[in-house]
Amino acid sequence: MKNIYEPVTAEIVKVERQSKDVLLFRLRSKGGVPFGTPKRGMHFTPGQFMLAGVWGYGEAPFGIASDPYETEYIELVVRRVGDVTGAMHLLEKGDTMTLRGPYGNGYPLEFFKGSDVILITGGSGIPPIASLIRYIIHNRKDFGMVHLVYGAKTSAGLLMKREISKWKRKIDVTLTVDGPECDWKGKCGFVSDCLTDIKVNPANTVVAMCGPGPMVDSIEQLVNPMGISDRKIFISMERRMQCGVGRCQHCVTGRKYVCTDGPVFNLDEIDRNWD
Amino acid sequence: MWCIKTSEKEKLLTALKGAYDFRDVSSSDLPPKKLFFPEREITFTHLVKDGSVTTPPPPRKFVLYGLSLRDLEAITCLDEIMSAPEKDYYYFRRRRRALLIGVTGEAFDVPPGGDIIISSIDADTSKLLSVTEKGERAIKKHLPRLKKSKSPQAVPVKNDTMPDLRNLLMDAELLKVAVEWSWHGYKKLWEKLSRECLGCGICTYVCPLCHCFAAEDSVALSGDEAVRCRRWDACTLPVFARLGGGEDMHPGLRERYYNWFYHKFVRGYLEFGRSECVACGRCQRDCPARIDIEAVLLDIVSAYSKSAQRRRRYR
Repeated sequence: MKNIYEPVTAEIVKVERQSKDVLLFRLRSKGGVPFGTPKRGMHFTPGQFMLAGVWGYGEAPFGIASDPYETEYIELVVRRVGDVTGAMHLLEKGDTMTLRGPYGNGYPLEFFKGSDVILITGGSGIPPIASLIRYIIHNRKDFGMVHLVYGAKTSAGLLMKREISKWKRKIDVTLTVDGPECDWKGKCGFVSDCLTDIKVNPANTVVAMCGPGPMVDSIEQLVNPMGISDRKIFISMERRMQCGVGRCQHCVTGRKYVCTDGPVFNLDEIDRNWD
Repeated sequence: MWCIKTSEKEKLLTALKGAYDFRDVSSSDLPPKKLFFPEREITFTHLVKDGSVTTPPPPRKFVLYGLSLRDLEAITCLDEIMSAPEKDYYYFRRRRRALLIGVTGEAFDVPPGGDIIISSIDADTSKLLSVTEKGERAIKKHLPRLKKSKSPQAVPVKNDTMPDLRNLLMDAELLKVAVEWSWHGYKKLWEKLSRECLGCGICTYVCPLCHCFAAEDSVALSGDEAVRCRRWDACTLPVFARLGGGEDMHPGLRERYYNWFYHKFVRGYLEFGRSECVACGRCQRDCPARIDIEAVLLDIVSAYSKSAQRRRRYR
């Protein structure tokens, strides 16, 4: 019988500081075995997550930030918030982590194809969106206009800046901060404030988001009047998780398990959840 | 099916005690799930020296004796829960090594689970029923000369626990609809219960079907090894749905206590087509706040039915 809780050991091949409390880890499976079974050349679907951990500290879920077509490694972006992430921040290149996954459904790529896409995220919600952008760029002709709106409290809180500057050649990027410094050249305010500047054809537009509840609510209030229905707004949810396979009950939201039914839901699926 | 005298029953039990680890759970406060899904178990041991990861060896074959019909039903249901979407490694490696023996004074038409059921008929006679091939093999091995009885005799019926809830459970769909409705339709009940409930989690620990768990790592004082454990968790406890960053999805006792009902009667129904409850009565017996769960559910269904009638009247 397969032990579904048994992780693989992954070696850290690169650690990159993204901000004061955020590190990006590039991980390669020890022994060179790629992660996941490839489907259409992809080792995971953008939006899927991994349970990464450190022996002695535990595991936690992380959205995968790397290119789904990349077979050699995956990248996780880790903000230091608790015991597990605190332990991860002490790791260096050459150290190991435990990994399980990929888990969850990911963004519905086939549904997105042929549409204009608005990508909205804030702070450390960038990883699954980053992976989706890499997929979109890889298949750029399958998509119409693509807009990324990414916000943070300060410019120091904006992650993956080097990648974003590369993406600017392929997609429209709007960066915004709540508290701008003197030399800030982007927009000021919440991500919702920047949406009004984007002109889209609502009949052919989908929205992909990853961010906290209040951000999602405010975006819904703005996007619905534009003619984009809840069925076309996709949100990647964050929940506490212990098992990743729909058994431990920590990640439930209403009728759904975030680990197996999600983490990506259209808003219509979760809007009427009691919690 | 066999009819056996007390002496033969004793002989069977003596033989089983010799062949297996024998666990008599007839007077246990905790439900039998603890034998397959212990309160805390080590799932992995990691040695720092060589980086090796091992799982502890599985237990010896054991007999679980003295299970009530409710507990047998609960184990059948928990088997299903632990199989979806993939079999739980730690649960089933224990479950496969267990011989389940139910002991009851109640009548039943269809055995609710287990491998063998012993039903007492009178002071000296019992009915021995093999439910599975595993049970039949064990009986034939340890009582080889026993002759099958053709005409099963009547078994006296004892009082059932939570009879009203038992009736309610027959209509799991109604329970599902009523509990789901109650969050908005019967708010004052959840306000009242959130004031009464202590949020201690005892109802979940004594429930034979609750299966929430948490993973917990620890490091040996020497620093040579780390162990990963899984332990029972309870959805009524404060940090159950709290994220690493501090955001809590079920911040109040009202949400957490309702979530317990929601899982049992709404999500349970949606996932498995039945309520995740067998009316064993433990949660009611052991609740330190003396919340009568049977009365709560009867109240919810009654309020829902009245509300549905009103809605029909004004339609």
